[in-house]
Amino acid sequence: MAGLRRNARLIWRVWVFTMRSFLASEFFILTAILQPIIFASIAFFLFQAGGERAGEHTLLFAALGTGMMGVWSTTLFGCGGAIQWHRWEGTLELLIAAPSRYDMVLLGQTLGASTFGFYSIGATIAWGMLLFGMPLNAAFPLLLPVALAVAILSLGCLGMLLATSFVLYRHANALSNLLEYPVWIVTGMIVPLAALPGWLGPISWVLAPTWAMEAIRGSAIATTPPLLAMLLCLLLAAIYYLLARWVLRFVLDKARRDATLALA
Amino acid sequence: MSAFAIEADDLVRTYRTHTGVIRRRRLNVEAVRGVSFGVRPGELFGLLGPNGAGKTTTIKMLITLLLPTSGTARVMGHDVVKETTEVRKRIGYVFGGDRGLYDRVSAMDNLRYFAELYGVDPGEQKTRIAALLELVGLTGREQEKVEGYSRGMRQRLHIARGLLHDPEVVFLDEPSIGLDPVGARELRATIKSLVEAGKTVLLTTHYMFEADALCDRIAVINDGRIVALGTGADLKQEVATRTIVEIETFGVSPEAVESLRADPDVIAVNMEERDQSQILLVQSEHGTLITQRLLGRLGETRIGKVVGREPTLEDAYVHLIATTSGGDGAAARAAAVSA
Repeated sequence: MAGLRRNARLIWRVWVFTMRSFLASEFFILTAILQPIIFASIAFFLFQAGGERAGEHTLLFAALGTGMMGVWSTTLFGCGGAIQWHRWEGTLELLIAAPSRYDMVLLGQTLGASTFGFYSIGATIAWGMLLFGMPLNAAFPLLLPVALAVAILSLGCLGMLLATSFVLYRHANALSNLLEYPVWIVTGMIVPLAALPGWLGPISWVLAPTWAMEAIRGSAIATTPPLLAMLLCLLLAAIYYLLARWVLRFVLDKARRDATLALA
Repeated sequence: MSAFAIEADDLVRTYRTHTGVIRRRRLNVEAVRGVSFGVRPGELFGLLGPNGAGKTTTIKMLITLLLPTSGTARVMGHDVVKETTEVRKRIGYVFGGDRGLYDRVSAMDNLRYFAELYGVDPGEQKTRIAALLELVGLTGREQEKVEGYSRGMRQRLHIARGLLHDPEVVFLDEPSIGLDPVGARELRATIKSLVEAGKTVLLTTHYMFEADALCDRIAVINDGRIVALGTGADLKQEVATRTIVEIETFGVSPEAVESLRADPDVIAVNMEERDQSQILLVQSEHGTLITQRLLGRLGETRIGKVVGREPTLEDAYVHLIATTSGGDGAAARAAAVSA
């Protein structure tokens, strides 16, 4: 029980520290706040140009979608590079040589990154309300915080899996760039999933952002509560976490064998 | 229970690397080749050697970051391969240079973060951090961002970070690298205070003066092997019967240096480059009696000051490194295997 409490405290403190570090980084301010606002503005103008065909919730749909694009970008770059950045900063060896469980430290870091990403949704909603007169009436206001929490958890765990996998590749940054746009499209952030070719379905199902988007949009604008999407977020979070732990064990063993912890 | 806080027994570490693009060749580089030593509790032990001698590799095996290729090591009785968590609880690790801190946040944030990682009891964190800031002389500067710190301040923050969990054994890997003389002196005072507080310290350094001033015992490591082990006085005995003649020259030619080496009474000649001059350190067993002959061998070379003196630890170190760096050492350490 004491071990559980200690690990929970460790995750929480690393989580908060990571968010504070991101807040001091111009790159993440740009990724999590400015970039989504630019995308949201483009989307709002496009939908406004659509005139009558735009429905009651169209602007909110766009605000949440473009906000989620920022969440994914922050998760991808923040979590995908979590191990790499520590390696470059020379702190990775210190984290590994500490007596705490490194998987807990990494989980705290990736949850911090995905939580920071959720500034994007706040930014695009505020932007839409202030400049485009977007109404904000959540269909299920009590479910919305729960949807956000499961979304953060699932994206944080996906980020942990990305971090442990990317560390094996020297050119992980290029891989991060490659994964940004396709995931925006395939997870229904820009256009509804129903409008995409059917063969993309299975790919979108195994990606947490699909269900996170579904859960958040469902809580805000759907007619039925998005319970299934929330459940799938939790299920995927558990699968990602277990996979990440398995990969991490392999990566750490390899690093101790091949002396790659301190190399850039 | 062993009498040693740190024990290394025949440690070997081989790295695999590749050369070439089309015709790739696999290389096995032996960074550490059978290192054995023991450090007693409360001792300040120095590991001295040139770049690439195997100092950092040895430390990284001892702090559980690298697996030895063969051999064993124990810290406070715990095996560094099988009992990593037990070892990590008992050690602090500090390295030199600019990296290893979170620059964009304050020193206090850094220390709080690492205190959590090192499992410091939440109720003790505040007093522990305050005491360490006092120890390293950073009290009053802890709320400043680390990116504004000088190199000396960063190094002292590194030490505070390494001591957060009150480790029994502290590994200091070239902590004074890049520090100005005042910063280095302050750091030496901090290291001394660690030993006074009962810590066991393993220090690696390039600087003889630092090792001589601080260490109870010193191991000289070269080409991955320990070539001498003892107190500073023991090591100096290697060259005790010799005298060093320091000759300041301006534009000395390689032929003139070779001519000095060819003198039958000269044991070794080392050269240090200065801004405008070169200092020739000539070792012999005849004191300053042969000085005139030495100057004669330098021919037309412009000569500055000439001083005779007793050998220092640095002379002993240079002698050890020169006599143990075999011409085939590099080849022996890098065995090429076709891929």
